[in-house]
Amino acid sequence: MTFWFGLSPILVVGLGTLLLMLAEAFGKSPNSANPSDAGSGRSGELALGAAVVLLVGAAFSIGVWMVGPENLEGLEATRPYLVMDRFTVFFCFVLSLGGAFAALLAGGYLPEHDIDRSEFFPLLLLSTVGAMTLVAAGDMLSLFVALETMSLGVYCMVGLRRSPRAAEAALKYFLLGSFAAALLLFGAVLLYGATAHTDLVGIGQAIKTIGQPGSTVPVAPVLLGLTLTLVGLTFKISAVPFHMWTPDAYEGAPTPATSFMAVAVKAAAFAILLRVLVVAFGDDRLTSWGTGWPPALATLALLSMTVANVVAGRQSSVKRMLAYSSIAHAGYALVGVVATMRSADGQASVLFYLLTYTVSTVGAFGALIYCGSRGAEATSYEDLAGIAKRHPAAALAFSLFLLSLAGLPPTAGFFGKLYVFRAAFDAELYVLAVVGLLNSLVGAYYYLRVMVFMYMREPAPGAQPAVPMKSAFVSSALVLAAVLVFALGIAPGWSLDMAGAAKIVVSAK
Amino acid sequence: MSPGLQLVFEAWPYLLAFVVGVLIPRRQGLYERIAVGVVAALSVLLVMGLWPSKEVVVDAPKPKEWPNLLNVIVFLPIFGSVSILFLPRQSPKLLRRFTLLVLGLDFLASLWLLGVPMTAGWHFQYIREWLPSFGIRYHVAVDGVSTWLILLSTFTTPIAAYVSFGSIKARTKDLCFSLLLLHGAMLGAFVSLDLFLFYVFWELMLVPMIILIGIWGGVEKIKAAYKFFLYTMAGSVLMLAAILYMVWTHKELAGFVTFDYLALKNLVLPKTAAMLCFGAFLLAFIIKVPMFPLHTWLPDAHVQAPTGGSIILAAVLLKLGTYGYIRFCMGMFAGPAWSAAANLAGLAVGGGVLYGALVAWKQDDVKRLVAYSSVAHMGFVMLGLFAATRAGVEGALLQMVNHGISTGALFLLVGVIYDRRHTREVREFGGLAKVMPIYAAVFVLVTMSSIGVPGTNGFVGEFMVIMGTFVSLPLGSHGQLQAVLATTGVILAAVYMLSLVQKMFFGPLSNPKNANLPDLNVRETLALAPLIALIFVLGFFPNVFLDRARDSVATVIEGYQEGRKAYMGMEPGAAAKLRPRKGGNLETGYPEPPKPGGDAAKKDPAPTAQLDPARPAGGAP
Amino acid sequence: MTELYLPMFIMFAIAAGICAVMFLGGQYLGPKNPTPEKRLPFECGNDTSGTRGVRLSVKFYLTAILFVVFDIEAVFIYPWAALFKGLGWPGFMTMLAFIVALLVALAYCWKKGALEWES
Repeated sequence: MTFWFGLSPILVVGLGTLLLMLAEAFGKSPNSANPSDAGSGRSGELALGAAVVLLVGAAFSIGVWMVGPENLEGLEATRPYLVMDRFTVFFCFVLSLGGAFAALLAGGYLPEHDIDRSEFFPLLLLSTVGAMTLVAAGDMLSLFVALETMSLGVYCMVGLRRSPRAAEAALKYFLLGSFAAALLLFGAVLLYGATAHTDLVGIGQAIKTIGQPGSTVPVAPVLLGLTLTLVGLTFKISAVPFHMWTPDAYEGAPTPATSFMAVAVKAAAFAILLRVLVVAFGDDRLTSWGTGWPPALATLALLSMTVANVVAGRQSSVKRMLAYSSIAHAGYALVGVVATMRSADGQASVLFYLLTYTVSTVGAFGALIYCGSRGAEATSYEDLAGIAKRHPAAALAFSLFLLSLAGLPPTAGFFGKLYVFRAAFDAELYVLAVVGLLNSLVGAYYYLRVMVFMYMREPAPGAQPAVPMKSAFVSSALVLAAVLVFALGIAPGWSLDMAGAAKIVVSAK
Repeated sequence: MSPGLQLVFEAWPYLLAFVVGVLIPRRQGLYERIAVGVVAALSVLLVMGLWPSKEVVVDAPKPKEWPNLLNVIVFLPIFGSVSILFLPRQSPKLLRRFTLLVLGLDFLASLWLLGVPMTAGWHFQYIREWLPSFGIRYHVAVDGVSTWLILLSTFTTPIAAYVSFGSIKARTKDLCFSLLLLHGAMLGAFVSLDLFLFYVFWELMLVPMIILIGIWGGVEKIKAAYKFFLYTMAGSVLMLAAILYMVWTHKELAGFVTFDYLALKNLVLPKTAAMLCFGAFLLAFIIKVPMFPLHTWLPDAHVQAPTGGSIILAAVLLKLGTYGYIRFCMGMFAGPAWSAAANLAGLAVGGGVLYGALVAWKQDDVKRLVAYSSVAHMGFVMLGLFAATRAGVEGALLQMVNHGISTGALFLLVGVIYDRRHTREVREFGGLAKVMPIYAAVFVLVTMSSIGVPGTNGFVGEFMVIMGTFVSLPLGSHGQLQAVLATTGVILAAVYMLSLVQKMFFGPLSNPKNANLPDLNVRETLALAPLIALIFVLGFFPNVFLDRARDSVATVIEGYQEGRKAYMGMEPGAAAKLRPRKGGNLETGYPEPPKPGGDAAKKDPAPTAQLDPARPAGGAP
Repeated sequence: MTELYLPMFIMFAIAAGICAVMFLGGQYLGPKNPTPEKRLPFECGNDTSGTRGVRLSVKFYLTAILFVVFDIEAVFIYPWAALFKGLGWPGFMTMLAFIVALLVALAYCWKKGALEWES
């Protein structure tokens, strides 16, 4: 029984997916006799169903966390394919939360914009299951399978709208994503060839033997495998220079799908990146500045922060700006990943950062959705001009999330940044921390720009300003996110402790 | 003698003032006369009360300090701003009254601070754990320095709000929200003794100020808002980096994490690191002050901001920079601050006092002129702080308050004329004294205070600053030159202010548009009256003010010298170290390290081993 | 390592070489006499008709995909069958869950009309 309970965060969502699929296929459509359209017009109930499934998953994550996965008997049986530790449970919570937000947003967005296609919700759930499995993966094989499960659903969600733009976005994302997955697989193969292991722990132990007498592990394939694995994973977190697909895919996708990509896919990819780096490549020589991965990732972090922030400031579409901002945030989180090399707080800072990033980003995308309605979707800055006068609540919510993304106290984003940069100082990565802080200044500029348009400009005469929609789903998601943003900004103690307790511990042998 | 007669005898000055007040005004009704009489009697009462008495009170019982007072002062406006969100937008009257009520209550609460003698050490201290795992505490306290800035803030913000409500009619809800939030954040920054808390309040000020500038500002409001935001934020992110570095170093040395000012104050950093951290803090503060060459955001922000915003900006917001320098730069980086003081003082004199005055002279826009005069005045304040003598720092402190009062009044007056004519060009005016006599009289009076004519508050402050600069130790032989140059700055101030007065108020009434301007109305008079009163109170009785600041200033200077000594004792290349704690009332509330094996172990059931025991935890070079 | 894989590389090289020789030899050595009839695409002796890009109905792809999905997943049952005794009840339950999931997918396809040729 404890075994099933331990796996419950994933199993619940998986079962929920199957049930929701059946419900979607067999349910009666209110406005269509065509059986192939059975789902249309039912986004509301399906969104509610998906959100409930994901929130129950989140509740089970909390339950497992309370009991403590290390206290559950029999849970080792799934190792190394599924590693249910506190790290996994923490991310299961974050991912279900992000998925639930996306489901709620979709419940309002899809019917409003006439893309009322109910496949979205099973796809969303399936992707979330994939993401959770990815986080739990402790073996290159399960890692790859989970990665693809997660990605396939997202590819479909991106192309849901069926406009040329969406098709371009989906195709681009699919092709580049497959390419990155292939690189990852190639890396895994090389690692297997070198170490004769596919499980991360085994790879890590084999790498530790390099240089010892009697070791048969060659160095070159290990390094090449490390590089290719990193490339594959940093593609998923869309770090510069592997970010090219991000703006197009984010812009072409329906906004709820965008928020899911920005939040859940990214968080899951960060989680597995951390796990791979800490478990498989945690060897002293590989975590040192001279011979290991830190300088490579530090370069990626620097590039991601700087390039994305500079480019984001030049966008005319708010959605595209948010896409670039998500790249910049990947850069900040990467600073925390690099800090794991020397700081005990590095992992925890990334975990906490992703939590704060999740709530602020879904909030920002949700507010963007909320500001538009049928035929008048808010995308550009001009669409938002003067909205504070007509709809103060929408503007206030949007500002709150933007301030959190900009990292201003007393919001969640501030603590996230603070923790990451504190870890960077702990690890003596002064340059990285200072550049990151300066970058948050650049970032603040374009977040402020949205607020300037909302509060201080009037719509151009003759322009059609966006009209906020009325949807209980979207507003409830916004309220929930706003509460979390404040809660994490004013009293982050509990979540900081959680993030600290969730870090992966490699037992030294 | 009957008690009634005795009362008449003892109260004769008040009665006389009352009678004079009732008799003098002509063409007024009875009620107005009585009101003027009461005001006159109260003024005499005030003056008599302020007159320094010879009696020395020995062993007065120490008044009880209510620990929650600061919480009330800081969070009353913040909760007020949150409640504003729930009040109806359609009833601006209710919103205005509510805002004024909150600000008024806050002012009354802050008056309590005057009830205790400001001896050295912290008063009204309140400490609570906030994030124990991060070493962050909610730690607030005041001393003689911050008390006055709090009072200045609680005193001027209601005036600014009252004035704003006269001229701004659009989007009252947003206005009330920003004013209250800004007020709370400023007060919070003045009382925080935890660097993290300070940073939170410091950043919290940004957004409401941008809203104030960007919504109700002038033509270029958005550009000004951006400029203000980017400048201030640029300073503060580097400050955050320095804070994080210091916290980390402290953890390496003391073994526990804390953001507390009292603990970090004892940290002696290696020379390069100390210089860099000092530079980061200094940058944040001199941008806020602002000091040449980082002052360029100020004229834009002032010119574009509405009158109320300008008053708050000039009176309080700029003081955060100087306050930050006293508290944090002089407190934590005495060594680097000392070595850089002479150069910085040169910058303050050359770029602030002289350059600011010269640029002000050439301005066509009255508000811009006042903004540049702010740069010059703040140059004086910084000069006094760099001098770091007792007279210098006390003078600087007094000058901060003076500047808040006189520049606040000047902005108010500029706002008055702008509301009537919607222009601030100097050449549009001339001969205004003929149509607006009261306005002209008040303007001249405030001008006198701004120049520093003896008898007004400005004189005392500038005199003390120059006196302190002359004998300053950190400035060395430069001090005397700088003092002389600063004196020239006073003359220049007279030049630009008086030429402004001459152009605007005297001469022929050339522009027909000005012929029928109404004089000050009741609202404006009411807003100006307390400022005018304070100009004279501080001009004649600066001791009221200085008495309360004296001990704290002495403490600041003493700490400054000790810190410098510790810094000079560092060998080149030596690692950071912690000064021993001195204890005493200066260090009440010093953070204690968490007990080993107590809280932390219980809270965290998961194994928290190091990633790899072979690796050292910190790895300092 | 190199010695271990060398024969394999040699084999690859020979295979590639033979292919190359066949193609290139035919290209260069064979007699050529192109006539219009010879250059026509071969369509079982009929005359060619229509343009080059012909749209095929999506249902072909759908059928192909469904075949691949269900067929390949059925392959998983073989290794399970080989180890049936060793895996015992847990193995049985796992496979049951797997098949249930497949059934749900099948029901989904059915209901969505993916199995209907005419629509």
